[in-house]
Parts: sequence; C-alpha cells; structure tokens
Amino acid sequence: MAGLELKSLHKSYGNVEVIKGVDLTVEHGEFVVFVGPSGCGKSTLLRMIAGLEDITGGELWIGEVLCNGVEPRDRGIAMVFQNYALYPHMTVYDNVGFGLKLAKTPKDVRDAKIREAARILQMEHLLERKPSQLSGGQRQRVAIGRAIVRKPEVFLFDEPLSNLDAALRVETRMEIAKLHHDLGATMIYVTHDQVEAMTLADKIVVLNGGVVQQVGAPIELYQRPANLFVAGFIGSPKMNFVSVTVEAVSAGRVAVAGKDMASIAIPARTDGLKPGDTVTLGIRPHDLSEESGGAIVGRVALVERLGNETIISMQLPSEASWLVVLDGDHNLSIGQNLALSFEPDRAVIFDADGTARHPDLD
Amino acid sequence: MSVMTQTGTAGAGAAAPVPVLKRPSPYPGWFFLPAAIIYGLLFLLPTVASLYFSLTRWTLFNSTFIGLDNFAQFLREPFLIKGLINTVIYAVVTSGLKVVLGLLLAVLLTSQIAARGYLRSVVFFPVLVSTVGVGITFTVLMHPTNGMINEGLAMLGIKGPGWLTNPSLALYSVALVDVWKGVGLATVIYIAGIVAIPKDYYEAARIDGATKLQNFFYVTLPLCRPATVTVIILSFIGGLRTFDLIWAMTRGGPGFASDTVASVIYKQYQAGFYGLSTAGNVVLFALIAVLVVPLTMLLNRREGHE
Repeated sequence: MAGLELKSLHKSYGNVEVIKGVDLTVEHGEFVVFVGPSGCGKSTLLRMIAGLEDITGGELWIGEVLCNGVEPRDRGIAMVFQNYALYPHMTVYDNVGFGLKLAKTPKDVRDAKIREAARILQMEHLLERKPSQLSGGQRQRVAIGRAIVRKPEVFLFDEPLSNLDAALRVETRMEIAKLHHDLGATMIYVTHDQVEAMTLADKIVVLNGGVVQQVGAPIELYQRPANLFVAGFIGSPKMNFVSVTVEAVSAGRVAVAGKDMASIAIPARTDGLKPGDTVTLGIRPHDLSEESGGAIVGRVALVERLGNETIISMQLPSEASWLVVLDGDHNLSIGQNLALSFEPDRAVIFDADGTARHPDLD
Repeated sequence: MSVMTQTGTAGAGAAAPVPVLKRPSPYPGWFFLPAAIIYGLLFLLPTVASLYFSLTRWTLFNSTFIGLDNFAQFLREPFLIKGLINTVIYAVVTSGLKVVLGLLLAVLLTSQIAARGYLRSVVFFPVLVSTVGVGITFTVLMHPTNGMINEGLAMLGIKGPGWLTNPSLALYSVALVDVWKGVGLATVIYIAGIVAIPKDYYEAARIDGATKLQNFFYVTLPLCRPATVTVIILSFIGGLRTFDLIWAMTRGGPGFASDTVASVIYKQYQAGFYGLSTAGNVVLFALIAVLVVPLTMLLNRREGHE
C-alpha cells in the first residue's frame, strides 16, 4: 500500500485547461473523495492518476515512484468504472481473473485469488454467470472484485454508484466503506454526490473549474467551508446566503445588517473590514430556529413535511429564497409569516470574492 | 401449440379467465396492403411459380407437367457436382477472407492513423464499381502473358501462373477478385461494430496490462461478434449465389473448372432448358437454405448466450 502526492498537476486539451494546478497529499490507507459539479475535472484528475489521461504538467507520485510516464498497469492501481466495464462475453470468474491471466499468474494462484475476492464480496454463487445475468448491484460487486484481485496500492473509483437505484446505492456505499476498513487500502473515489462524499471520506477534495477549492475532513468542510462554493456545495439542503452590509467592526466580531435582517454581531476575522462594506452572510438551514422577534422575518412559500423534520422554503423581503429545517411537528402553512433566529457563531461571513472569514483564522 | 393449450386449460381450470386486452394498432389494417401486394407479386408469386415450373417442361407459351424429371436430370448433369463443390469452396473462401481482411482493415481504419477518412473511402470504393467492369478489368490484368500482374511478377524474376487459364487456380483467382471487390462492405460493417464498443473496456484492459494483441483477442474480437455474424452470413450467401463475376471472368472455364451452381443454371437457360434451369434454381435455393439457416442459428445462439 502507498500514499499519493500530486504536485501542481495540470491537464490541458489544446488551449483548454481543465486541471489548473492541483496539489494534494493522500496518506497511505486514506479514503479520499473528489467531489464537485459536472465538468469540474474530478474524473479527469482520477484518470490522470490511473494513467488513462496524459499529464500535461506537474508531478504524480504513487508511493516512492514518479508515475507521470508509467503505464497504467505498472502504477499499482486498480480502477472501478462507472459502467463497470465487465466483459460481456466472459463469466464473472473470467472477468475477475482477467488481469491475473494477462499477468500470466499461475492457474492455481489465480483461482485462489479469484475465490478469495469472491468470498470477501460474498459473490461465490455468481462466479459462473455472465454479466448480463447479474443485477446492477452484483455487477458493481464484480467490478470491485476485479480490482481487489490485483492487490493494488491504490483503488480508484469513478462514480461507481451512479447507475444504482437509491436503496442499493446506500447499501453499496456501506459495503465500500466496510471494504476500505477491511482492506485498509488507499482509495480515491470520485462522485458528484456530496452525501457519498460526506459518508465515505476521510478527506474530501472539493473541485470546481479544475481548481481545488478545499481539502479537509467532511465535518471540517461542513463547519468551516473555505469559500462560498464549498459552503454551497457541501451540506444538504444547501447553505442560505444573504447580502448584508457591515455596520460596525469590533474585536473578533462584525455587526452586519441588511434588507432581510436586523443588526447582528457575527464572530469573524475582521482585518480589512470597515463599516459600509458589502459581505455575504451564510447560515445553514439546520441552524435556523423559529423565534418570535428573531432577526429574520419572511413569508412561508412552501412546506415539505418529511416526518422527522419539516423543510420550509421562505421568501425574504429582498425576494431572496431561503430554506429552513425545523422539527417534524411544526404546523406551518403557506403565506404565513415566520420569524427566525440563529446562533451568531453558526453563521459565516464571506468576502466579496467569496472567501470565508472564519474567526479563529486570525 | 401445446404450450398454448396448456395455458388455456390452466386458465379455464383456475378462477375466472383473465381477459386479455389486445392493444389496438395505431394504424388501420389496410396500411399493410401496398407492401403486401408488392411483396406478393415480386417475391411470393415468382417463388411459388418457379416451384411449379421446376416440375414442368416449359416455354414462354406453354408448359407440360413432368414431375421430378427436371431434378433427376439436373442432378445427373456431369459437371453439376463439380459446380456444387465449387460453389461451396467459393463461398467459404470469399466469406472467410472477407471476415479476416475486413476485420483487420477495420481495426487499422479505426486506429489513430493519418488520412483515416480517405483510406476508408479507398477501401469502400470497389464496392461501388460494376461487377462486370471489375471482372473485365481483372481478366485483362490476370492475362497469363500480357497481364500487368504477371508482368510485374516477371520484373521480380517470378514466373506468374495462368491465373484464369490454370484449371486448378481459376476459381480461386475469381474468388480473390470477389474479395477485393467485397471486402470494403465487410470493413464498413466491422468499423461500425468496432466504434460501438465502449471505450471503458479498452481502458479496463489497459489498467489490467493488456497488450495491443491481447486487446484485439480479448476485447475487440469478441465484442464485435454481431458484426462478424453479419459479415459471415452476408458474404456466405453472396458467395453461394455468385454468378456475375464468374461469368465476366471465366464463364465457368477453363472447361467446367470454375463453374458454380449459378453459372450451370445460366448455361441451361442459354440452351433453352427452362424447366431444367428452374429446377436448378430451386436446388440452389435449397442449398443456400440448408447451409445458411443452421449457420445463422448457430451463430445467433452463441450470440444470444452472451
């Protein structure tokens, strides 16, 4: 097993730069998730690590080896594809053993490894079947089996759950987490689903436009997003934003007010801020609570009752729309006015350029 | 039938029979007529008529029923057995070469090479040329002494054979020309088959460490099987029915060395034995059916098994 080191990795197609200098360290045994919207470059980055895309600039180290020019088979990686890429003319047994066969592994060793992988993934009964005779979840398992038998240094997953239905996705997600725990292997996983990212990752890499927005543990990204993009991308329902004006700056606190809210002092980094500046205030839907006389007053536009919680879409005076998550037993109706408050230290102030001003970054 | 009966009985034996809702066709029934008339007039009627006329001695104006005499006589033709064997050899050689060369050309023409589009046109071009024109041209090229092929070989110090005059070579020479003319179509079918193979398979194989040759044998070849089936069936049927190229190049000669069933039939027509040659056509039809139907079933069964 090995870690990875990406040093100023670049990728261009002609004049179009899709990966704009990624620096990243992946520790041995870590589960790292690349997450971001479509076209952010996360799959390209994974494919560069796999060796399926050339590296335009920078260095890729897997373990102690500089891998820029190394063939995929010699990188010590295995990849699980989004569409599984199981050969339809081969049985599960042959699919799983294909890489070993190419590597001219002796037949008995190969057989033992295939059966061991099948045991780990509980698919011994599927070995003689063809991929067309398998369900989506079973195919996924075979694809993972094909990766396991190679005993790779690094597992690469390219959106492996996106072809599964919701229930199976949750189940397979747990299996992958368990597999990581059991094998202790380094895994890099690409997804656009932030729930997958939050639940699986030791470390999340949020990408947008070919640039790393933030790297950190899931909870860190949730609580201390580096910028507006990460704040909006991580967390469901997504964070609410409102444009406010700085009224006063004191030690460690910024008092802000706006069309939608009365003045409130938020803990934040204050350097360079002065009264009159326009900043963005972000607050998560779960951090809002109903309170008469609260700083924010709006009109209920939509109520979604999920049983354990109620999600309210609220129209603010500035026409901005916010989401609020309240307890399941709230009896609100559309058109009603709702006053909300929040703990000041749960809110985040963002500069005009989108950078977060977390207080203890001073 | 038995399945239907069983189902019916089971249905009646159970509770109330479930009414089957027949989904009404969005089109009125008579929409089917124009196609049915054309198909009936141009295909079914001649087929049935030729089955009948194969049992008669006929001219354009009258016919006399003679039972299976035509078949007996046709199968007694001294050169017919030779023609049958030649037909099968011709079909196997041409379809075999078209599969192999078509696949290799398609692999080449789907790889990253310069002037790929232009080369695809070049390979396909002979398909568009008239068969008789190709036959006459190659007859000239294959002339034993003045032909360009043997002249070229002579420049290399090789004495070229009598391509079309050597009885043991003539059939194969025509088959080669057939392959030259027809391989473009096989290539196009293969190209369509190969570009339809998802890239993921090659990438997965690349990560597994497959060489180009292993890619070909483990990914391309098995996954373009539907194209292979199409090429085999089309070129095999084409080979069994071949007539125009044989006729343009050798007229079945030298002697009867390159006669096929179709050229034998044509010779009977020329000689005015209409009933006899109609019987020959029925034999050819049966030959194609006997060889191609099991072949198709075999190829498709394996395909379905995937």
